[in-house]
Amino acid sequence: MDRQTYVDRQTNVDKAISVGNYLNLYFGQNQGIRLGDSVVVSRKAHAKMPEKRLKGQIKILLNRDAGKTYLDFVESDQVVHIDIYHKPGEINPCDVAKAVFKAVDQYFLEKDPQLQYAEDERFKIVAGYANKIFISTNQGKGTVYDLFQNIMQPISEDEEGRDHIHMLARLNQEEYYLIYVITEAAEEVVLASGAKLAKVRNIVHGNQKQAEESFAGYIKIPWKSFKGQGATPLPAKENVNQLVLKLAEKFGGVHEIDEFLESYSTNIFKRKGIEQQKKKWGDVEHYVQQLEELDLIKNTLVGKILTKKGMQLKEFIINHKCEIESEIRRNIRKVPSGGMSGFRKLGKVEKKASCVKLTNRNKTINNLDNTWAGDLAVPETIIQARKNCFLRNDDHFTVRRKDLHYYDKKSYIPVDICLLVDASGSMAGDKRQAACYLAEHLVLTGKEKVAVVTFQERDSKVVVPFTRNHQTLSKGLATITPAGLTPLAQGIVAAVNLIKSSNVRNPMLVLITDGLPNVPLWSVDAKADALEAATYIAKNNIRLIGIGVESNKSFLEKLMDKGEGVLYLVDDLNRDNLINIVRHEKKNILQTAKMA
Amino acid sequence: MIPFYRLERYEGNEALFELVLMSIVSTYAGEPLHFHAEGVRGTGKTTIMRAARDILPAIKRIKGCVYNCDPAAPHCPHHRNLSAEEIEKIGVEEIPMPFLEISHSAKVGTVAGSIDLAKLTDVSNPEASLLPGIIPQAHRGIIFVDEINRLADTSPEITDILLDVMGNKPGHIQIEEAGLPVVDVTVNVSVWAASNPDEEPGPLDEIRRQLSDRFDMVCYMGRPDSVDNISHILKKNSYSYKRIGNEENGKKNTGYRDAEENIKYQKDIAKWAETFVKTDLPDFLRNFIARLYIKYNLESIRATEALQQGAVLYSIIKRRDKVTISDVHHVIPMALKHRIDGDTLVRIINDIDGRGVKDGILSFKGKKTQKKGETAVPDYFQQDARPLKDISRSELINTEKTLTPS
Repeated sequence: MDRQTYVDRQTNVDKAISVGNYLNLYFGQNQGIRLGDSVVVSRKAHAKMPEKRLKGQIKILLNRDAGKTYLDFVESDQVVHIDIYHKPGEINPCDVAKAVFKAVDQYFLEKDPQLQYAEDERFKIVAGYANKIFISTNQGKGTVYDLFQNIMQPISEDEEGRDHIHMLARLNQEEYYLIYVITEAAEEVVLASGAKLAKVRNIVHGNQKQAEESFAGYIKIPWKSFKGQGATPLPAKENVNQLVLKLAEKFGGVHEIDEFLESYSTNIFKRKGIEQQKKKWGDVEHYVQQLEELDLIKNTLVGKILTKKGMQLKEFIINHKCEIESEIRRNIRKVPSGGMSGFRKLGKVEKKASCVKLTNRNKTINNLDNTWAGDLAVPETIIQARKNCFLRNDDHFTVRRKDLHYYDKKSYIPVDICLLVDASGSMAGDKRQAACYLAEHLVLTGKEKVAVVTFQERDSKVVVPFTRNHQTLSKGLATITPAGLTPLAQGIVAAVNLIKSSNVRNPMLVLITDGLPNVPLWSVDAKADALEAATYIAKNNIRLIGIGVESNKSFLEKLMDKGEGVLYLVDDLNRDNLINIVRHEKKNILQTAKMA
Repeated sequence: MIPFYRLERYEGNEALFELVLMSIVSTYAGEPLHFHAEGVRGTGKTTIMRAARDILPAIKRIKGCVYNCDPAAPHCPHHRNLSAEEIEKIGVEEIPMPFLEISHSAKVGTVAGSIDLAKLTDVSNPEASLLPGIIPQAHRGIIFVDEINRLADTSPEITDILLDVMGNKPGHIQIEEAGLPVVDVTVNVSVWAASNPDEEPGPLDEIRRQLSDRFDMVCYMGRPDSVDNISHILKKNSYSYKRIGNEENGKKNTGYRDAEENIKYQKDIAKWAETFVKTDLPDFLRNFIARLYIKYNLESIRATEALQQGAVLYSIIKRRDKVTISDVHHVIPMALKHRIDGDTLVRIINDIDGRGVKDGILSFKGKKTQKKGETAVPDYFQQDARPLKDISRSELINTEKTLTPS
C-alpha cells in the first residue's frame, strides 16, 4: 500500500466518524441533514414539496417517524432514513447491496486489521449489519443480506424509491459512522450505472398535513343503477348512513348539510357562493369533488347542481332526520384519544368548588356519625339486627340504633362552561367547526350547562345562553359566521356579564382564540383593554382557561395572569385538542376538590 | 298487549324481529345469543321484546328447582350430586322458558342472590340460606334489561355481574353472602337489552365498552317511514280495536287465534333449535370470517364467534337448509356495528359485495383521482450533484439553517 492511498483511507475513517458525530448531534435535536449534495439523512420520513414552486427541496416530516412509517415499528427513533437522490436511471438494488456489503466489510477491516485473520468473526459482524439495512430502488427492494444473494422483492406503484435510493438502517447512536460508509458506496453504484446524482437544493423541516380522506372510494350509493347480472342489491342503509355522517362531521349537523346541499339546488335564491361556503365550513371543494365522484353533484351550464341521486339523498336526510341526528350525537359523544399530547399547559390555579350530593343505592354504611339523617337501607339493617340479636341474646327480634344502615352518598362537582370563541376572520372553517364541536360534545357528554359567546367585527354576541338543550345549542352554533376583527375585551365583558346574570355552578370560562385583540373597548389600546377586562374575570371568581397558539404566547400569558387563569398552547386548534384540554381541566378540578 | 305475530313489521324493525327469533332458538338449543337494540324513543324496542314472552317454548326442569335444573344435566347445589333415580323421584315439570327483567331498582342481591330474609327472620325456625337472584333463576331463558346504558352508569356492580354472565357461553355466576358458603353455578341466559343512545348517559359503548362488546349482536332501530305502516300501528293500538277485537275473514278474534299463532311459533322454534344443533358453518365461510378478522383488524374474537353463530341461526329462521355467504353478509352489520367504526363497516360490506360495472376494473373514474395526489414533477431536481468523496469534510454536513439563505 503506497503512502498516498494509506492517507486517503485513514482520512476516510475519520470522515465517517466525524459524520457520525454530527448525525448524533443533529438527530438528537430532532433534525435531519443533507449529507454532501444529494443525500438526505434523518430519522423521519421525507417528502418532496411539489406544492411549492421551488424545485429540488426535500421536506423532513417531523411528525412521521421513519421506523413507524415504513417498517411498522412501535418505538420511534430506531431507524435512520437515508435517501440518495439521482437523475432518471435504473439502479439495481442488488448492485447497491453488494457495494454496501463490501464497503462495510472493508471499513471494518481497515479499522481493525486483525480481523483479516478472523474471517468468521468478520463475516458475522458484516452479515449482522446486512440484515439491519433495507434498500429500495426503482428496480426492487430488500435487505442487504437478501439482495446480496440476488433475492429481490418487486416494488409497488406507490412506494418510495422512484427517483432515489431509499435506505433504512437500524443503527444505534454509536454506529452512525457507518452511514457515511454506506452512502458513499451507494453513490458509487449510481455513478457506475450511468445515472447522475441530483442536487438537493434545500431541506425543510415540517409536519405532514393529514391527508384528507376520500370517502368516495368506498361508500357506494345504493341508487346507482346496476347492470351486472350477479350484482346483488347493495345494503342501502349502512352506506347512505355513513355518507351522511361523514357530511355531518364536516358541516356540523343535519341542518347544515341541508344548507350545504341547498347551495347546489336549482333555486338560485338559495344558492351560496363557494367563497361564502368556505367562510363557514372551510375547505368544501374536497367534499364537492367527492360528491361529484359519487354522482350526487354534476356540472352543468348554470354551475354545479344536485343530480337526481343527490335529490334522493336530500330526501333521505329529510325522511330520516331523527335517526341521523341521533347517530350524529352519538358520534359527538365519542371521546377522542390522544390524551395530553397535543397541547402544553402553563400556569396553575386552584379555586374552591361546590359539589352536589347524590344517593348511592349500591353502597351502605353502618355508622353515620350519630346523626339520624340519611336514606335508611332496610334489608341491610334487618340482617345486621338479626345478627346482633343473636349476639345480644335478645329473646325476640329487635332493631337498635347501631344496627341501622344507610345508603352512601356520591358527590360530583358540576362545572358550567361558557365558551368564549373568537369569531374573527381567521377562525373561519375548521377552527370554527372545532369550537362548535367542543360545545356540542360538552352538552352531550356532561350533566352541566354550556353557553357560547363570540366576538367579531366590533362587537360580541351571546350565541347560546347557558343551556342543556342540544337543539338550542346547535341552532345557535349554526349562526356563527367568522369574519372581521378581534374585539377580545368586548367578548370578555359580555361573557362575564352572562355568567353573572345566569344561575350557574362553578362557572368556567374557556377562551378559544388564534389571534391577538385589535379592537379596543375603552381606550385606544386593544391589548390593554383586554387585559383590563380579564381582571373582571378574576374579580368575579370565575375559573378561566385560555386556549391559544404558540405565536401569541406572550400576550396570552399576560392575559391569563390578569384573569388568574391557566393557559393551554396548542399546535393546532383542532377539536380533539380542545376536548382533551377541557376534560383535563375538569379532571383537575375534581382532583383538587378531592384533596381538599 | 299486541301479540308477537301481529306487531307491525317494516324495514327499520325487521332486524329486531329476526334477532328475537334467532336468540330464542339459540337459547332453547342451549347456546345463548345476547343482543342489544338501540334506537330513538318510541320505536318499539321494548314492545317487541316483551311481546316475545308469549312465543317462548316450554322447558323441562326438576320439580320446584329455582335454578331451573335440566333433569338430564342438573347443575344447582341442591341437585347436582343426585343420581338419575333420585331426580326421577323428585319429579319433572314443564315451565315456560324464563323471561325475567332487570329493572333499575335492581341491586346486587336481587340480581345475583342474597340471604333469604324471610327464612332469616322466621320466628320459630330462623335459618340463614341463599335466595338466588334473577340471573340464576333465568337459567335456560332470557333476561331483559331495559335502558341498559343507565344501568351501566348507575350500577357498575351489576354490570360486573353481567360481564361475568355474558363473558363465556355458558356463562357463570358466583353468589356470595357473608357468613354463607359461596355458590358458583353456570348460567345459560341470553341477555336482551334496549337503550336509547341519545339519552342520558349516552351510548353503552361509551359508558362501558366491555359490556357493549359482550353483546353478540346489536341492531339500530329505524322509524317507520311509510304512512301505511304508521296508520296500521295506530289502528292496532286503538282502544276500541283492542277491546272489541279485530275481525278477520268475517270471524271475530277472541284470543283463540292469538294463542294458535303463538303455538305455531313455539313449534317452529323447537324445530329450528333441533336444526341448529345439527348445522355447522361450511369451512369456506369460516375461513371467510377469519379473513375478515385479519384484514380489518377486528379487535374482538367475540365478533367472529357472533358472525358464525348468527349466520347459522339466520339461515335457519329463514327456513333454508344451507348457510350461504348472503347469511354471513346479512349479519355483518349486526355483529360488527358496535365493535368497529362506520367507515370500516362500510368498507367490509362493500368489499364483499357484488361490484357494479362502475366499480369494476374498467372504471376510470376512481383511478384518475388516485393519481392526482402525486402528480410527478419530471425534473424536480435540476442541478447535478457531486459525489461524497469529492466533497471536502467541511461541506459534508448541511443543515436547514446553513442551506437557507438568510
